[in-house]
Amino acid sequence: MAEIRLVDIEKKYGNFLAVPKQSLTIVDGEFLVLLGPSGCGKTTTMRMIAGLEDITSGDILIGGDRVNDKPPKDRDIAMVFQNYGLYPHMTVRQNIEYPLKLRGMAKADRAARVQETAEKVELDALLDRRPSELSGGQRQRVALARAIVRKPRIFLMDEPLSNLDAKLRVTMRAELKHLHHELGVTTVYVTHDQMEAMTLASRVAVMREGRIVQLDTPKRIYSEPADLFVAGFIGSPSMNLIEGAIRGGVFTAQGVSLPVTVSDRDDVVLGVRPEDLEIIQRDEAPIQGRLYALELTGDSTLVTLRTGKASVCARGPADFEAEINAPCHFAPKPGVRIHLFDRTSGQRIDGDAAQGTAA
Amino acid sequence: MRRLFAWWGERALLALVSVIVLFPIAWMFLTAFKRPRDAYSLSLDFEPTLQNFATVFADPWNLGDMVLNSVIVATVTVLIAVPCASLAAYSFSRFRVKGRKFLFFLILSTQFIPAVVIVLPFFLMFRTLGLLDTRVALIVVNLAIVTPFVIWMIKGFIDAIPTDSEEAAMIDGASRLRVIKDIVLPMAAPGILTSSIFCFILTWNEFLFALILTRRDAVTLPVGLVSFRTERGDLWELMSAAGVMITVPIFIMALLIQKHFTRGMTAGAVK
Ligand SMILES: Nc1ncnc2c1ncn2[C@@H]1O[C@H](COP(=O)(O)OP(=O)(O)O)[C@@H](O)[C@H]1O
Ligand SMILES: [Mg+2]
Repeated sequence: MAEIRLVDIEKKYGNFLAVPKQSLTIVDGEFLVLLGPSGCGKTTTMRMIAGLEDITSGDILIGGDRVNDKPPKDRDIAMVFQNYGLYPHMTVRQNIEYPLKLRGMAKADRAARVQETAEKVELDALLDRRPSELSGGQRQRVALARAIVRKPRIFLMDEPLSNLDAKLRVTMRAELKHLHHELGVTTVYVTHDQMEAMTLASRVAVMREGRIVQLDTPKRIYSEPADLFVAGFIGSPSMNLIEGAIRGGVFTAQGVSLPVTVSDRDDVVLGVRPEDLEIIQRDEAPIQGRLYALELTGDSTLVTLRTGKASVCARGPADFEAEINAPCHFAPKPGVRIHLFDRTSGQRIDGDAAQGTAA
Repeated sequence: MRRLFAWWGERALLALVSVIVLFPIAWMFLTAFKRPRDAYSLSLDFEPTLQNFATVFADPWNLGDMVLNSVIVATVTVLIAVPCASLAAYSFSRFRVKGRKFLFFLILSTQFIPAVVIVLPFFLMFRTLGLLDTRVALIVVNLAIVTPFVIWMIKGFIDAIPTDSEEAAMIDGASRLRVIKDIVLPMAAPGILTSSIFCFILTWNEFLFALILTRRDAVTLPVGLVSFRTERGDLWELMSAAGVMITVPIFIMALLIQKHFTRGMTAGAVK
């Protein structure tokens, strides 16, 4: 177990700046998720921590030691690769045993450890197979077993669940969470799946174009996104973002008028989550338009209305029914958070946003 | 109807090509078992004999010495070229060093030089060193010819191996050399074996340099064939018997390559 500190690290591929100068401290024992769209530099950041990629400038400290010039094998880490990186010419047993063998553990001890680890990830029946004879989920578990068979100071996981089908992904997610709880090893986990990030993380670092735009607990990332990018990226369906202006303490856009506690200004984007809106039947509702689409998700219905250029989505009851193009009215539920952002910079407008008024 | 026609057309064409390719080989195999008086006839009606093989291994032809020379030269060449080429190929494949592409081109470009152009400099060099008519000279020359080719070939195989497993091994605690030994070599083994056999065949068949650089002691099989063209005429039946001795090991190796060539060792590494 160890703390990881990235100090002003930067990575260039030739002239291409993959990760611009930035710092990040990963606390001992925490589960930090790097979250961001594909190509934003998550893998690059993780590979720099692992030592698989040279850093252009800056320092990496693991447990207080500067490891910039240490090869991966001396960093005492374990990593699960996106494509697993198994050893195809070795059996499952040999795959899991290999890290122990490299560290010179005695044969009898190795066998016991492999057995114990295999049982933990339910692979004990498959120990004599080759990776090519396993399903995706089983391969993933081999990769996981190989990582946890040794007790490393740090776990790195690069989208380990992305090749699994949806159902298995949910099961494995729970297993990973349990494993982290049990072992307590500092973990850095890369994903582009916000659901994975929210469920697994102690803290989430949302990345965009190589930069960490927000580093916070999942709860705060969700309830207080730092900018428009995070606001739009987190949540499913994503947050409604409506462009408008604030006039006399009221946010105004076509079909929308919501009282807020921010002084008057132009170029404002108002954000409100679908689950924070409710469908009401009164005419003087804060958000008015015509019904555009209804999507039943099982436990609820996603109701989308259109007003001017904007679409606004609300999560309504599963039994909600109405005619398409009929007038439709939304209001924020009492006490929910309304978010305001500067349209040009994308930054959250401070001085706190409005509380939803009981409409 | 048209498809049937195409099917037969294709078969006919393949048969024709096979006949053209196989005829000289078949002729050689048959002639190797003929008596001198039958050698010039195309008839299949002859009394087979093993006498030719006995003759070529006896004085004055002593084919046994040439077999030994060929085996030693080809084997030693493979044993030196393949390990060196494997390491070079790995480096070219994995390390992003400045000037890497140019260097690789430089190595490959040696293959574009016609052998006749450099055979004389080689001759002069080995004469100065007193190495004419030695196996050492042949091994050196063959290494020069074969190594670039084998580097290129093995690089192709290593390029096709995903780096994930290697990186996993490095994180698991392996040094670079250990990674090569434990991960890369086993995964590239079919490719390296194929390249070895290729290398062996190239060396085994090498003619021009062996002709110029050897006289008596280090003569290899292909050069030995020439000695059957005597003042008394061409001894086709003996030449054929020697030809069979050259060809059979190559056939066997070609079969081996075929078997290993298709085996995908990387299956299951990813996804
Ligand atoms: N070896 C490389 N050479 C050049 N560019 C690279 C290399 N690896 C990654 N990149 C670039 O760096 C950026 C970040 O990549 P990556 O870290 O893999 O993103 P992510 O894992 O978030 O999808 C991408 O634009 C990618 O094209
Ligand atoms: Mg990635």
